[in-house]
Amino acid sequence: MSKKYMAKDAVRSIKNYTKGYSETQAKVRSATSNNPWGPSGSAMYEIAQATYNPHHFIEIMEMIDKRLNDHGKNWRHVFKALTLLHYCLNEGSPDVVAYAKENIYIVKTLQEFQYIDEQSKDQGIVVRQKAKEITNLLLDEDRLNSERRQRTDMRNRMTGRGDL
Amino acid sequence: FPSRPVDREKAEHDLALNIKKATSPDETAPKQKHVRKCIVYTWDYHTSESIWTGLKVQPILSDEVQTFKALITVHKIIRGGHPVTLKDAQNQTSWLDTCARSISEDGIRGSGYGVLIRAYVEFLKSKLAYHRIHPEFNGNFDYEDYVSLKNVDDPNEGYETINELMDLQDRIDQFQRLIFAQFRKSSNNECRIAALVPLVEESYGIYRFLTNMLRALHRRIEFIDALAPLGSRFNAQHYALLKFYFECSNLRYLTSLISVPKLPQDPPSLIDGSAPPAIP
Repeated sequence: MSKKYMAKDAVRSIKNYTKGYSETQAKVRSATSNNPWGPSGSAMYEIAQATYNPHHFIEIMEMIDKRLNDHGKNWRHVFKALTLLHYCLNEGSPDVVAYAKENIYIVKTLQEFQYIDEQSKDQGIVVRQKAKEITNLLLDEDRLNSERRQRTDMRNRMTGRGDL
Repeated sequence: FPSRPVDREKAEHDLALNIKKATSPDETAPKQKHVRKCIVYTWDYHTSESIWTGLKVQPILSDEVQTFKALITVHKIIRGGHPVTLKDAQNQTSWLDTCARSISEDGIRGSGYGVLIRAYVEFLKSKLAYHRIHPEFNGNFDYEDYVSLKNVDDPNEGYETINELMDLQDRIDQFQRLIFAQFRKSSNNECRIAALVPLVEESYGIYRFLTNMLRALHRRIEFIDALAPLGSRFNAQHYALLKFYFECSNLRYLTSLISVPKLPQDPPSLIDGSAPPAIP
């Protein structure tokens, strides 16, 4: 199994090169790849931190947007892009929140996402649930703010900053 | 003009294809990915003109399944699209009439879609008429508190708004019962069930509005007896909706797509002010 995905990872890095994706975009692509495991916390953290840089911010959102609008058979792209977006809404720059609110219809319309694979297993359900969760979060300003604040507090406590 | 990366020329080209595929002759639900592209298009460019043009150049009117799928697609686009879509749709009633006229009672396939098409057109026209008179509501009746409060500021006007909203709710109820009556044993009914999906969502949005507007009105008016007709109508609609959702909850295809709201057995009190039920 790991060989198969190592080969895929190699193909992805070739694509990153031939399509001229930047290093940041390559990070987003690998965090939202078709590998059957979720994006790692450290990868998401790195990407979320990069959204504070305006140049990287554009690159990241562009790639997430691409992944969100991918085909049904790439439902993992869509699901992981939602996971990454959710993470960046909590941890990333306020620009992510503004961007996501402005383009909420991209996520909202994924609430009816459908994909049934060859084994007639409904793979769309995780996308539908995640899309619903994020839509509700985006519509609830207070909750979004308090979740962002909690994250910062937690991080400050863990790194020993703040609360001095 | 959208902040996301887009390509207008490609979008226009894709849109024509999406409309074609959403209204294909296969007796299935209009594929959500194509409907979604249409909805996203209206938000990206704040227009729906190309969609109407696209629908008119497609040869859908000779086939009842295609026409029915076009109506489902239109309903979903009106609900989920940019507000401009709802305004544009109000100028398309003659196209809707054409849809209703073009298909005979049984259609060519003899599958009874003619009746459903005419009922769908009637429903869409009354929905559009409601939105024309009450532009403060959005296409999908997403719940917004200030609308319900604003509408009961003037009790007379509030009474009318609620009454007309109840008329629309009754129409949904009639239409959904017709759809169930047209189910065929020989078919998986996916195409017919697909029309129930936006109806479940729409009826629930309306229900939530009605609950809150009626509560606000009860708080405002001292002579509660005057509201009795609205109250009993609300109760009747509650039971009708309860039955509708129960029947929907037995349709596996539908429940795999959306969660059907669970209403309490008895209608909620309109006098105490507890919060309206949240969207499931």
